[in-house]
Amino acid sequence: MSLRIAIDTGGTFTDIVAINDKTGDQHVVKTPSTPSDPSVGLLNGVDKVLELAGMQGEDVMQLLHGSTTATNAVLEHKFEGLGLIVTKGFRHLIEIARQSVPDGYGNSLFWVKPPRLVPLHLVREAPGRLDHTGAELEELDEAATMESVDALIEQGVKCIGVCLLHSYAGNAHEERIGKLIAERYPDVFVSLSSRVLPEYREYERAMTTLIDVMVKPYCKTYLNRAGEAVRARAGDIPFLIMQSNGGVVKHETAGEKPVTMLLSGPAGGVLGAIHLSRLAGYNNILTLDVGGTSTDMSLVTDLKPAMTSQSMIEHYPVKTPMLDIVTVGTGGGSLAWIDDYQNLKVGPRSSGAVPGPICYSRGGDKPTVTDAAAVLGRLPKALVGGELQLDIETAAKAYDVLGERYNMSPEEVAAGVLEIATANMVHGIRQVTTTRGKDPSGYALVSFGGAGALFACDVAEFLDVTTVISPPNPGNLSAYGLHVCDVKQDYIRTLVRQQSTSDSAEIEANWAELEATGRRELIAEGVEEERVQLVRFADMRYVGEGHEVLVSIPEGTTGDAAIEQMWSEFHNVHFETFGFDYRDEQDVELVNLRVQAVGEANRPEIKLRENDGTQAAPTTTRQIYWAGQGWTECNIYDRTELALDQVVQGPTVIEEYGSTVVVPPTWSARTDKYGNLILEKNNG
Amino acid sequence: MADGTNAKAKLGPIELEVITGSVRSTELEIEAAVERTSRSPMIRDQHDYRVALFDKRGRKLTGRSYSALVEPVFEYFKEGDIHEGDVFFWNDPYNSCGGIGHVPDLCTTVPIFHEGTLIGFSQVFGHHDDVGGSVPGSLPVNARDQWAEGLVIPPMKLYDKGVLNEGAYNIVFRNSRLGDHLRGDVDAEIGAAKLGSRRIVSMAERYGIEVLEAAFDAMIDNCAQTLRRELLPKIENGTYTWEDYIEFDGVDRDHPPHAFRVTMTKTEEKIVLDFTGTDDEADGPINWPIDYSDGVFIRKFMAPVLRSLADSPERAAEIDINEGCLDVLEVKFPEKGTLITPTFGKPTGMRFFLFLRVLGTFAGVLAKATKGHIPADHETIRIWGMHGGKTQEDFYLFREVLGGGAPGRPWADGSDVVHIVPNSRNLPVEFSETRFPIRIEQLALAQDSAGAGYRRGGFGYDKRVRSLRPSTLLSNADRSELSCVGVNGGQASGIYSATVQRGNGTEQACLGMSDDVKIAQGEIARIITNGGGGWGDPLAREMDLVAYDVTTGLVSEKSAREDYGVIVKKDGHQFAADATATNALRDEIRATRGPLPLYDRGPAFEKMKAEGKIKWPEGWTDPDEGWTAFDVNA
Repeated sequence: MSLRIAIDTGGTFTDIVAINDKTGDQHVVKTPSTPSDPSVGLLNGVDKVLELAGMQGEDVMQLLHGSTTATNAVLEHKFEGLGLIVTKGFRHLIEIARQSVPDGYGNSLFWVKPPRLVPLHLVREAPGRLDHTGAELEELDEAATMESVDALIEQGVKCIGVCLLHSYAGNAHEERIGKLIAERYPDVFVSLSSRVLPEYREYERAMTTLIDVMVKPYCKTYLNRAGEAVRARAGDIPFLIMQSNGGVVKHETAGEKPVTMLLSGPAGGVLGAIHLSRLAGYNNILTLDVGGTSTDMSLVTDLKPAMTSQSMIEHYPVKTPMLDIVTVGTGGGSLAWIDDYQNLKVGPRSSGAVPGPICYSRGGDKPTVTDAAAVLGRLPKALVGGELQLDIETAAKAYDVLGERYNMSPEEVAAGVLEIATANMVHGIRQVTTTRGKDPSGYALVSFGGAGALFACDVAEFLDVTTVISPPNPGNLSAYGLHVCDVKQDYIRTLVRQQSTSDSAEIEANWAELEATGRRELIAEGVEEERVQLVRFADMRYVGEGHEVLVSIPEGTTGDAAIEQMWSEFHNVHFETFGFDYRDEQDVELVNLRVQAVGEANRPEIKLRENDGTQAAPTTTRQIYWAGQGWTECNIYDRTELALDQVVQGPTVIEEYGSTVVVPPTWSARTDKYGNLILEKNNG
Repeated sequence: MADGTNAKAKLGPIELEVITGSVRSTELEIEAAVERTSRSPMIRDQHDYRVALFDKRGRKLTGRSYSALVEPVFEYFKEGDIHEGDVFFWNDPYNSCGGIGHVPDLCTTVPIFHEGTLIGFSQVFGHHDDVGGSVPGSLPVNARDQWAEGLVIPPMKLYDKGVLNEGAYNIVFRNSRLGDHLRGDVDAEIGAAKLGSRRIVSMAERYGIEVLEAAFDAMIDNCAQTLRRELLPKIENGTYTWEDYIEFDGVDRDHPPHAFRVTMTKTEEKIVLDFTGTDDEADGPINWPIDYSDGVFIRKFMAPVLRSLADSPERAAEIDINEGCLDVLEVKFPEKGTLITPTFGKPTGMRFFLFLRVLGTFAGVLAKATKGHIPADHETIRIWGMHGGKTQEDFYLFREVLGGGAPGRPWADGSDVVHIVPNSRNLPVEFSETRFPIRIEQLALAQDSAGAGYRRGGFGYDKRVRSLRPSTLLSNADRSELSCVGVNGGQASGIYSATVQRGNGTEQACLGMSDDVKIAQGEIARIITNGGGGWGDPLAREMDLVAYDVTTGLVSEKSAREDYGVIVKKDGHQFAADATATNALRDEIRATRGPLPLYDRGPAFEKMKAEGKIKWPEGWTDPDEGWTAFDVNA
């Protein structure tokens, strides 16, 4: 019992990283994903990595899993059979939404509101009303409510979301409806908004609840099936699922509230990047995860990933806490194309996995970003350890044709395509930095994904970032990151109270209750009681403001001290976020109490690199094109051969299995003892 | 590189794409900075602000929204009097070259310099909570001159070479009921504009000023080309007229409705809009002074309507409208003294009525020249609320901007309850009830509020709010008599209404422009907003779609029968159309109704017309006369 297996299921491939807890050995494999039944791909991955490690099912101590099942269910619009119960008088809740029109002026004329998750005839009312304190104004009419439910069932509804006004303040009506439905229709999936997200703002709560109940049939079924298969292979071991908040929970727990699994895919990479950066001595990082069709970016300050509760999936808000990750539609497979007005564009059109770039010789005939890199000599003649021979000549012809359109040489236009791709990524990073009030220039950029290291230094130059970190096995960092995930659960309760009239005992009692729930549930997750960490947060604002800031209370602070800290710290956080505060001038309002319960995982040991004094020589040299400098004969290095602390001066390319690290002129690279390449901009 | 830059002498496709992308991304960054650091709910939550980047000649580069202008910087300051560190500042509707329409809109403009050379401008203006005047919010419904509406600031330098004009700064904030908010907002807007200028400077550093300026030219030319090649050919050459009305100016109940009129001349090369024939200026605050600087403001404001001519709504959303639109859109103004050329000092607070009317009238006249292939009319800004309390401590103002239904258009029904201001949001029920002494009894779409059509309008609100304390109703609304116009055979929408359901069981209807109706504790205010105008013959609408709207309750059985000619019958939980009965009824209606008019302005207008209250000026005739609907598939 010494092997931990992490499985990251993507749209095309499933990545597996297994770590032997005793020896520190890592085993990395890849297997095709099986979207029709993802558990097949999962089990294939387990078998494959066991074979590679020469171990058996009973050697597995833990299985960690990041999955796109929930996300795909939403993206594939599997909406049938979804119904909604709301408070009487509010049947048009999700039709009205927030009355907003996106983007520009004039859009209200032509813009078409996207389809609602539930068509209006499947939204029914429940008579009964609470006020904002949770007090009952009108009791629940159970008979009328069940008539509404019956009508939904008769029309083929199989999943019901329940979202009543002010249920965050009082859940009795919703709980009662949940019980009544379960009694009469035990096979129907139900999500109650007061359980999914007991937070005020009825539209967002309703949408989050609907997404939850919508993916439940897929996730619960999938996780149960996968769980049984895992048990059959490896016995009763923990089977932990990555959530979008960056923590893991047992698969049974995840199945009960699957909305927390949305966007869990990219979270693993961010956590892996944090782990390796911390070891390397960098606490403030930007992550750049460049895949085939898109790039994910996030901001990490003091080793804490930025979180958001403002996420959208497609057009629908999901308010559960998630890592704040921004995606742009530019990746290695993005096409370079010309629009109707002769403008050169890069992405979001993509060659996809099939047919892929021209140089992969799988039928692709349109120039991609990867082809541009190949034409410029940035890529080796063959990828993935020689398995994939690159047809650079044909790619060059395509760039020749593209260049002719603009009277440019093929290399000029190829370099230009990389510049446009770089600029697109820079715009994405601005969204997680300057638009959030953070200056990126003091951060280190951590690049991963298959193509991250091709762009990292160029992106850094745009942002005045001078350090780039390229972790080992950058193509598998998302799977690796699963190994460093803590068990994590978030709890929230809306309690709107103004400082001037608030009752500390009431606030403390509510916080303590959330903590008790957190402790209980983490112990149920298998975390030892003494390892349970409980951190308090509060969403707060000045009275009159429309949005809140998140105030965190130092761990272990409770009682009056915590509440005093909360009121006082709010002004500081407000100043940091918005640049002003009204300390002693304006009344403060508490909106939500939050508790995050964390059970820290054992971090895997990393085999440290030792310095045997030998410096790696270049494996070869190659002509590489650099903008402003032209074709230059450059040294090429094999990443595995580089010695600890060996410094390599750019311009050069460092090759490895599955990735290529580009070190432009004026940059240098050094290997640290954890296997990271640290790239730095030369002074002057 | 030897000189440390990538500077190239020539603009290529790479530089153009990177610079275009950066300008767009910078616009988003400035918007985010405004939202993050400003203080008043109007800006932070209702998103009522605009940002823009301009080249050194004041030509607009960004394309998401309209903006104020840079022209006042050139017009009101001596040549050469633009320096690094300057912050220009104004809100004067009569001294802003048409860029600012009413005094709550304070505008901040920052010149952008690179190595001592002026390369552009960055600008933010927002609709602020209060700039003084006779009522809180600075939008008095019965103002008779501009001085009742608040503090007026002609173009000035708030900062001169980085030095703050403290005297002016203090005067501005002293004149607001919410001076701290206003100061915070203005500081935030200046900070955000400066942030934007840094991005433009970094592009100049990367590519050099020459390439940057060539890219700006190309961006503007791209817009002109797109309009000329993609959208203009969809408009038939010729001269067309149309008009629309504001029903009430807040002051004179006996005045006939106030017309905005346009004559459009379309040639191969361009569109000329002549506003001659527009009615005289009003005594109340519905004027909008825009007859300055060749009308550049109104041209840039109206041009986005042309986006609706794109091949698809997705394509429309991609088209940015920048200064390039001036190439294809010209305007002519009537003499001084009309609604859009008011004489100095006329009140302008509710210029947002004309704002919507101008867009709707442009779309309306285009209907004649596009075989009806343009969205119908919509009315999507409604300010209403309740306030109460006697002392500073218990005073409250519950005020919200409610949207209305979007218009029916050839490709889709109108979206329900949308607000024209992008990304603006309504107030959640759970927020409102927590904050104010009100209980929201119903938040719904208003049945039959949408104009019927082959593609019907979107629905408006039907909101019922109980006042838990004695309060006063506030309503700033047009379209409470005259409907949103239905186009190409589509029908007119329902109208706005504000009623108070009294404790004794009676209902009191209120004027659209009201600010003194008292509501007793426990009484209910009911607000219904306009749906959108319908588009195309309702008899052509697929009968299953009509039946579905009856199932959901959005369309009544009566309207299905009378407006759509559809007979429905209940089938389980749903309604289904009776095809035989429907076809028979539709045939009967078609046989008796006569030709379908191109425009339907609704029953109130027909009545006014019949009573002789609608009069056309010399040289004008009824622009609806003689125009019938085109086939919906034309």
